[in-house]
Amino acid sequence: MSLLKANSIFNEKFGSYFLLFLIISLFCIFSVRLWYLQVYKANFFSQKAQDNLQRRQLIYAPRGLFLDRHGELLAVNEPSYSLAIIREDCPDIEATLEQISRWTQMPADQVHDEFKRGKGMVRSFENQIIASNLSFDTLTRVETESPYWPGVKIVIQPRRRYLQGEVLSHVLGYVARASEDELTRDPELRLGDNVGKQGLELSMERILRGQKGLRKMEVDASGRVLHQEVLDYPVPGNNIQLSIDLGIQQKAFDLMDGKSGSVIVIDADSGQVLALVSAPGYDNNEFVFGISHEKWQNILSNPHHPLQNRSIQSTYPPGSVFKLVMAGLAHIQPDIRAADRIFCSGSVALGNRVFRCWKGHGWVDMKKSLVESCDSYYYQLGDRLGVDRISEFAVGSGFGRSTGIDLPHERSGLIPTRDWKRQRFNDGWRGGDNFNLAIGQGFILVTPLQVARFVAAIANGGSLYKPSLLLDEKKVDPVQLPWSESSRNFVYQAMIETVEGERGTARRLYTDGVIVGGKTGTSQVVGLMPQHLEDDPEAVDYWLRHHGWMAAFARNNDRTYSIVALVEHGGSGSRAAGPVVRDLLDYLFDESHPHQ
Amino acid sequence: MVDRQLFLHINWSILAIVILLFIAGVLNLYSASAFRIGDGTAITPFYKRQILWGVISILAMITTMLFDYRHLKNSSWFIFLVAVASLIAVLFWGKTIYGAQRWLDLGFFNFQPSELAKVGVVLVTSAFLSKINHSLGLRDILKVLIIVIIPAYLIARQPDLGSALLLVFLMAGMLIYHGIRKNTFKTLLLTTPILIPSGWIFLKDYQKVRLLTFLNPGHDPLGSGYHVIQSQIAIGSGGFWGKGFMEGTQSQLRFLPEKHTDFAFSVYGEEWGFIGSLILLFLFSLFLYQIFLSSEEAKDKFGTMLCVGVFFYFFWQIFINIGMVLGLMPVVGVPLPFVSYGGTSLLVNFIMVGLVLNVSMRRFMFKS
Repeated sequence: MSLLKANSIFNEKFGSYFLLFLIISLFCIFSVRLWYLQVYKANFFSQKAQDNLQRRQLIYAPRGLFLDRHGELLAVNEPSYSLAIIREDCPDIEATLEQISRWTQMPADQVHDEFKRGKGMVRSFENQIIASNLSFDTLTRVETESPYWPGVKIVIQPRRRYLQGEVLSHVLGYVARASEDELTRDPELRLGDNVGKQGLELSMERILRGQKGLRKMEVDASGRVLHQEVLDYPVPGNNIQLSIDLGIQQKAFDLMDGKSGSVIVIDADSGQVLALVSAPGYDNNEFVFGISHEKWQNILSNPHHPLQNRSIQSTYPPGSVFKLVMAGLAHIQPDIRAADRIFCSGSVALGNRVFRCWKGHGWVDMKKSLVESCDSYYYQLGDRLGVDRISEFAVGSGFGRSTGIDLPHERSGLIPTRDWKRQRFNDGWRGGDNFNLAIGQGFILVTPLQVARFVAAIANGGSLYKPSLLLDEKKVDPVQLPWSESSRNFVYQAMIETVEGERGTARRLYTDGVIVGGKTGTSQVVGLMPQHLEDDPEAVDYWLRHHGWMAAFARNNDRTYSIVALVEHGGSGSRAAGPVVRDLLDYLFDESHPHQ
Repeated sequence: MVDRQLFLHINWSILAIVILLFIAGVLNLYSASAFRIGDGTAITPFYKRQILWGVISILAMITTMLFDYRHLKNSSWFIFLVAVASLIAVLFWGKTIYGAQRWLDLGFFNFQPSELAKVGVVLVTSAFLSKINHSLGLRDILKVLIIVIIPAYLIARQPDLGSALLLVFLMAGMLIYHGIRKNTFKTLLLTTPILIPSGWIFLKDYQKVRLLTFLNPGHDPLGSGYHVIQSQIAIGSGGFWGKGFMEGTQSQLRFLPEKHTDFAFSVYGEEWGFIGSLILLFLFSLFLYQIFLSSEEAKDKFGTMLCVGVFFYFFWQIFINIGMVLGLMPVVGVPLPFVSYGGTSLLVNFIMVGLVLNVSMRRFMFKS
């Protein structure tokens, strides 16, 4: 026996030791491992177990609505259905994404990109929205087939709808999916959220948005909700009632049909904006769930730039409308009297340059110069007053700076100064520049809204209000025009004369029972034509035509309006913009429908 | 009375441990069968069937103890051949459940021939080795290998990798226990590393995936790695004291897979914590130690080898199963003895215990 065993590597007791060794190893290895999992890493795994069963879900807060001053709805929320996935619940993500592509007809690449884009921004076990605004057909298909696709969820999100579309597109702007940039900047935003991109939707974002709520849910392994409680109730966004009067807005929009330009109606006594139209408009509903490439190209290639809000973002030479400012400035000069006359022969020479008036007016005093819009009178004034006084006075009258309206991207226009010209052109201010400035041509640029605010101040006794789009906005004390009361009244009367006088340039605005004052303007256009239209004679004719201004106020016993129309390439102010204001006056003072 | 004498010599501690393990298993099963519906709880009747099987199994164990185990030395071949025959039968007439063809429908219950094969292999190998009084040479090892490889192959084809591996492992354990010649041992040490990769070819795709997953469980957390990860979360989240009976969220909310069978220990670990797990582990160790003592006290070589066979039969199952749920082993479908749900396996477990008790109670029976 012992001989046989000698050939073995094991001694007699080896087997027994072997078994004992195994028992001890088993106990030791596993107790160490158990200690590691259950004591050393216990907190880590407890958290994991919690994560498994507890899920948080955001509850969307409805965005505040927009209403007009009479309570008419302008922007509302409608339910829209989005397709979301919960990554952790999808057994096969690739296949699920492919299926989503099949359901929604979105190209597979796009679905993949969408998934990759959002992956890092969604916490585990939270919905990641892949496709928004599902059609009803898609929705029913997904509803019936989604039980076979764990992890696929249909999420109801409020969707913005602008009831009047183009009519208010420049005022309301639009919401669209938050960009990556916006998501990183604003921690409240979640992937798939809509956020204001333009107009009041952008500037009033804080008021409109509200606060998302949070729901805590307990789920089992298949994602079935066993128990839920709301941790935070959502706080709906605040509704905003605009000062806009939908009736006036709609009317002004209709009047601009086929034209490019801007129409503004302001309540002169409060600065509240009743209508703010920029033509052409665009359908802001198209942007809410991402505009199609084709439509986007159409908008971009439209030579009339529909996205541009002409009322505040386009600047034009004010033309003869600026004579109102010039006359006001002249009137407060101690050495200039309104009755002083000059002779208009139809042109004024300066050195070897000749500056023309549009007709020979003969002897012209200050009032006649406004009523008949005589350029010669203002060449002479410009020469006498000089750029320094003119620009200071113009800025005091609200030009060359933004009005502060609650819309993004407002431009301030330009009131030229000596310094500005030196910096811009490396050239001194010349006599001819004074001539041009005096009749609102040359370097000077204004926005239609600045003109409307200025005219309102002429009509209301000299208060430059911040143009307000919100009905309940707290009144800010207006800035006063740096004019004397008599000079303001002089210009005010001259504007009325322009409408009521036999030779006034705004005679067509005459309205029975209403005090109407107006001033026409024509701003010369140079080099605005889009290149690709150069060969079309009709187009050339259009693009070389002047812009026409009509700035007016109208008052009866209980209200005063400031009304400004600018029609691009409309020819003279009286001919192009006049009819628009004319028709608006008819609408505003038609007693068959209520206003304010 | 001989019978009365025998009764006195029964190894009561083995019996007590096994009953304790079985009760722990049934309680655990009761908890694992519960799942939350809304705010309430529903229970599936798995535990009742397990108790029924427990009663049947204990009766079978007692039957196994009644006759002298030495009779088995001669009939071991017969049992082995019946097992192989039923394995072949399963290939043709077996019932397929969850993609594996493992069951023979005997009318009153579904019989798993692989379980019978385990008993057969333990008996045949014990009988074979008890006749050899010298250290094993290559020839002896090959003989045993050929005997065992037939049922192992048939079982692997079902496919039931866990049971097939168990056969090979328990055979290897018995061979090493018996003693191997120095040179033979060296040869084996050199050739096994070459044989293991070639075994890869015979694995089914899902088995390969399981092995790869074991090597890197985080790779595909919702695919094959899911089981291992969820199991570790369950056990780890149990902490020191455990979440309490029927309070385990991982099992109650069904994040744990196969919680009645292969992952029963995860349910247990989540609810009873480190303390409870350690007690269970200690019971298993004590159980193995008692079998070891029985093998030492056995009066003949066959009895010793029988106990050693049963030792390895339990050892490997405990080792593979707990190793798997603790994330130390690949996912192989091996149940935890007495704790996992499963009638046939419970029956065989008790029969195996019966064999050990049989050997142990007859340790003073005859003089050599």
